Amino acid sequence: MTEEPILSVSHVSKRFGGKGDLLAQMLAALGLAKPRPQVRAVEDVSFTLARGEVLGVVGESGCGKSTLGRMIAGLLEPSAGEILIEGQAPAARMAKPAEGQGARAPRALDMQMIFQDPFSSLNPRKRVSDLIGEAPRVHRIVSPEDLDRYVKDIMDRCGIDPAYRDRFAHQFSGGQRQRIGIARALAVKPEILVCDEAVSALDVSIQAQIINLFMELRDELGLTYVFISHDLGVVEHIADRIVVMYLGRIVESGPAEQVFDDPQHPYTRALIDGVPKLDRRRVAYEPIKGDIPSPLDPPKGCHFHPRCPLATDRCRSEAPVLREIAPGRQAACHLITTDTDTTIKETAEWPVTKTG
Amino acid sequence: MTTVLELRDLKTSFFTGDGELRALHGISLSVARGEILGLVGESGSGKSLTGFSINGLISPPGRVVGGEVRVHGEDLLQVGPEEMRQARGRKIAMIFQDPMMTLNPVLRIETQMRDVLAAHLKLSRSEARARAIAALDEVGIPSPEERLRAYPHQLSGGMRQRVAIAIALLHQPDMVIADEPTTALDVTIQGQILSLVQRLCRERGTALIWITHDLAVVAGIADRIAVMYAGRVVEMGPVDQVLDHPAHPYTKGLIASVPTRRMRGEKLQQIPGRMPALTDLPEGCPFQPRCSYVTDACRSPQEMRQIGPDHTLRCAHPLTEATE
Repeated sequence: MTEEPILSVSHVSKRFGGKGDLLAQMLAALGLAKPRPQVRAVEDVSFTLARGEVLGVVGESGCGKSTLGRMIAGLLEPSAGEILIEGQAPAARMAKPAEGQGARAPRALDMQMIFQDPFSSLNPRKRVSDLIGEAPRVHRIVSPEDLDRYVKDIMDRCGIDPAYRDRFAHQFSGGQRQRIGIARALAVKPEILVCDEAVSALDVSIQAQIINLFMELRDELGLTYVFISHDLGVVEHIADRIVVMYLGRIVESGPAEQVFDDPQHPYTRALIDGVPKLDRRRVAYEPIKGDIPSPLDPPKGCHFHPRCPLATDRCRSEAPVLREIAPGRQAACHLITTDTDTTIKETAEWPVTKTG
Repeated sequence: MTTVLELRDLKTSFFTGDGELRALHGISLSVARGEILGLVGESGSGKSLTGFSINGLISPPGRVVGGEVRVHGEDLLQVGPEEMRQARGRKIAMIFQDPMMTLNPVLRIETQMRDVLAAHLKLSRSEARARAIAALDEVGIPSPEERLRAYPHQLSGGMRQRVAIAIALLHQPDMVIADEPTTALDVTIQGQILSLVQRLCRERGTALIWITHDLAVVAGIADRIAVMYAGRVVEMGPVDQVLDHPAHPYTKGLIASVPTRRMRGEKLQQIPGRMPALTDLPEGCPFQPRCSYVTDACRSPQEMRQIGPDHTLRCAHPLTEATE
């Protein structure tokens, strides 16, 4: 991977709340109101993504994975850090190309998002041909004469019968609607798709159809994906690289195969152990204890220490930094030791789930 | 093993302007003491409706139109409303997907638990409180005395589901029906709930029907599996038998469409099309439009038949090693 990354996220953070409106700020300044709590939804996240790669972002609710996805897609402004697409900042990509540069649309369209709920992400009053065709028409990606044929082609490619292009979204099933959402994203010829739980709401047999469609599109169009999901089985199937998040921070990242076969961070291990699998029968679950802490009041030191079976005094006081533990692999844990030859040492005995 | 629950040819229909919509086409199954039966199916297969029908929770325009729901031999469809009320909670209890909907948002946990206790028992305030604390403690809720004063919104999703389970188990029912209780929960919390339910079933000998769309969850906890499609049980048998040697093409398709680590990056096998609407079921086997083994024999109605010890099937062309 010597070429320039298509997406580079460096030291991105996002905080919500905090200041409040003018009145709240004045009251706070006069000492009449308590400062409002601030949620650090995403904290100092960095990674790069090469063209054609699939990055899986996993974590449980409240870990900041959706916030991260929305920042990459340009729907939220990062509070700190920057997100570059093909080396360009978002503002530069918003600029319309000068006249006469051909039919190239603003580069901001290179990034498209596919949402979880195919019921609420499609305008119920628009026909499918408008849902898919509006953006390419407005951005003059196709001429008005060619629009109909263009929409038909895209519907065909996404597995929707083009004969249905005058129907409304409610006349389709959940899986079909998700295909319309994908067709709409593809209509502006994006380079990167951010899929936020894009298959989570679908039934298993439909989910398989959509995952296959994503993989076909990747092969045909060379798309790059940021695939956000809480479903580790799906992510393991589709992703090349994995980022595991816990309470806004990356706790482990690396090639999917290595992370799933040999997870290093205790949280990653707990997650992977906890996933029910078809070939694990009558499992005696030995789950990790406790709840996910509130992001309003994260624990001191390592965020995971209250639930970690291996926590030491150092974990309770000092937050571990994300560091390289092997070539291409990073983790944030005090307990992982690395040799000079950067092979990973077994950290400690882990309570492995027993079968029987 | 004593049979706790037995369904015989349970039929539920909805009566609409378009006539009778048959949602359950004769469900027959049984669950023994201490056994966990996984009831698996996709949306619209009738798996939740089966749970609701057993509990007598079908409201108009729906109605249970035939069959028997026998709990320890007594047919609950024949008893009056008062006896049904007596049975609910004491003999059979239900755990729902969304604990926010089962718990009353404006009442403290203690009030809700006392109400449930008072439904079947005459207890003093302090006795009821002691029972509630013991029940919360059993489902692994830390400092139960304090939690009793909490309102549901003050608890996390996993805690709420624990409270709902504690309430369902207050009267030590013989039969618990759990309708997707972990679907809305995170993986680590799901693991906690699964381990809890497993332990309670084993210790008390409670029979459990675990309704889910997630085959992997069922693989982890169930003893037997019943696979539903379009209001029918199409295959039923021991977990290992059904998952390792599925005989129904639909079961096989479902298993193949679950992403597993053995085929990372490969194309998933997919079942073409989707489940037909109730209004528009084909004659005979409802799976035939999506099935690749379909022949003329599939156009006549299929009966459930025995194909192995404790393994039953509703299909004209059972898959064997030879046909696969």
